[in-house]
Amino acid sequence: MTMAAIEVTNVKKAFGTFTALEDVSFTINKGEIFGFLGPSGSGKTTMIKILTAQLEQTAGEARVLGLPSIDMKKSENKARFGILTDNSGLYKRLTVEENLLLFSNIYDLPKSAIDEALEFVNLTDARKKKVSELSKGMIQRVTLARAIMHKPDLLFLDEPTSALDPVNTRHIYNGLRKLNDKGTTIFLTTHDMTEAETLCNRVAFLHKGKVRAIGEPAQLKHQYSDHSMTVELMTGEEHILQLDDHTAAVKLSEWMSEKSILRIQTNEPTLGDIFMQVTGSDLQ
Amino acid sequence: MNISMKRIQAIFMKDYKEFSRNYAISIMVFMPFILALFYNKMGINTIDAYFMTINLTLAMVTAFIQSCLIAEEKESNTLRSLMMSPASIADILIGKSSLVFSISAIVLALTVYLLGYKPANVLVLALALAVSIVFYIAVGTICGLFTKTVMEASVATLPVLVIFSFGPMVLGLSEKYPIAGIAEWLPSAQLILLAEGLETAMPAKEVFISFAVMIGWTIAAVVIASILYKKRMTDD
Ligand SMILES: Nc1ncnc2c1ncn2[C@@H]1O[C@H](COP(=O)(O)OP(=O)(O)OP(=O)(O)O)[C@@H](O)[C@H]1O
Ligand SMILES: [Mg+2]
Repeated sequence: MTMAAIEVTNVKKAFGTFTALEDVSFTINKGEIFGFLGPSGSGKTTMIKILTAQLEQTAGEARVLGLPSIDMKKSENKARFGILTDNSGLYKRLTVEENLLLFSNIYDLPKSAIDEALEFVNLTDARKKKVSELSKGMIQRVTLARAIMHKPDLLFLDEPTSALDPVNTRHIYNGLRKLNDKGTTIFLTTHDMTEAETLCNRVAFLHKGKVRAIGEPAQLKHQYSDHSMTVELMTGEEHILQLDDHTAAVKLSEWMSEKSILRIQTNEPTLGDIFMQVTGSDLQ
Repeated sequence: MNISMKRIQAIFMKDYKEFSRNYAISIMVFMPFILALFYNKMGINTIDAYFMTINLTLAMVTAFIQSCLIAEEKESNTLRSLMMSPASIADILIGKSSLVFSISAIVLALTVYLLGYKPANVLVLALALAVSIVFYIAVGTICGLFTKTVMEASVATLPVLVIFSFGPMVLGLSEKYPIAGIAEWLPSAQLILLAEGLETAMPAKEVFISFAVMIGWTIAAVVIASILYKKRMTDD
């Protein structure tokens, strides 16, 4: 039996008269990497804050690691999760290493945890640098190092690679996969659809306060596919044929016998296409 | 409440490193020495003058530094990071207060020495000063938690300075305006009354009352600071 790491049932969150989350439900299994996608302002960070007890939902139930999410406030549960959000701050006057040292002591970790965390984010060479002297991407990596340092059961990552270059991004993907292989469940938000596709076992699209689509990327692509293919002929002509249309087969075999086909491609949507279809908006 | 010495020590060490590199705030510890030397050179040696400096130190060093340290943690979102870690409220508040407590104790001891003040009963006075430090730390924490930036926090400690450091001076008017007598119940006024009493062999009962008033203020301030801190754990 796979146990749920996170179970969200009909969660609503209102800030005064403004409703950020209207009615959100989803389940994340233990061991999954789950992508929570949606336009800017759709409530992704708000959901993370509810799950980590930084906010209380207006209605509905949220359970984290089998407990009501509000229990994540208790200090004995805090070592079970790690979190990276845009409100995760670092001590500017301290070095990278001093920042991590504070938290390794708070989590009661061995000294080697700092080295491992620095290696994880590819910052071993910058350990003696003051945080005030770091670039944006380096700061994001130190914050990530702090979030993963204690190897939590559950990791919340709110746009973890938004400021990173492709090399570091790939390095961190590998690290996250390794962490996941060892059992860490990952809840990830991102605006990068390629990231969602390469990293996530399942994704959910949040829009106007509700989950509009949820599933494995491949399954969603199938579901949102218009079941068509594009045939490009030597002449430069392009034809779009429906896969379930009989006349398409006739046309295809005709072109094939004429040897006039240059390229055939099935028209599967990308996650980005699905995003736009589901949210009716462009990526922000 | 779960308290961990290791966590408290880690937060203390972190604060020490930050404080020693933050000249804008650490320079404040020298202010009382200048004042004390000035009084000493002028030959002013009344209890009132001594405690003018001591109460100023408690406001300008203890409460001010504490409020700036807390406000800076809020401003840079590091307080939230601490709150999201397994460190408990007690770990964080004690850890964050122990640095300012140590600094205040050292600065006050040096100030008393520079003033040339030789209290009749050092032990009782030290105890009274320790209680006062805790009170001003709690007040500084409240100021820091209430405000959003270091700038705001340093402004917010001004009323503390006016009420608690200058409050006891109003007592002189109490014969003309009985209402000014309320100032007697300020912890800073009780500290002065206690110190004066120590010089004239005050009855134990009155020593006890002075302590009770100061401890009462301290408990109230610590409770308010803790409640405010709990509220700051969430964004609601
Ligand atoms: N504390 C708050 N008080 C009032 N409104 C809030 C608060 N926090 C968030 N909101 C509102 O809730 C909505 C969702 O915000 P949230 O930060 O969760 O979006 P998001 O999906 O994370 O966006 P982004 O992709 O830009 O990070 C926004 O309209 C925001 O203005
Ligand atoms: Mg967000």
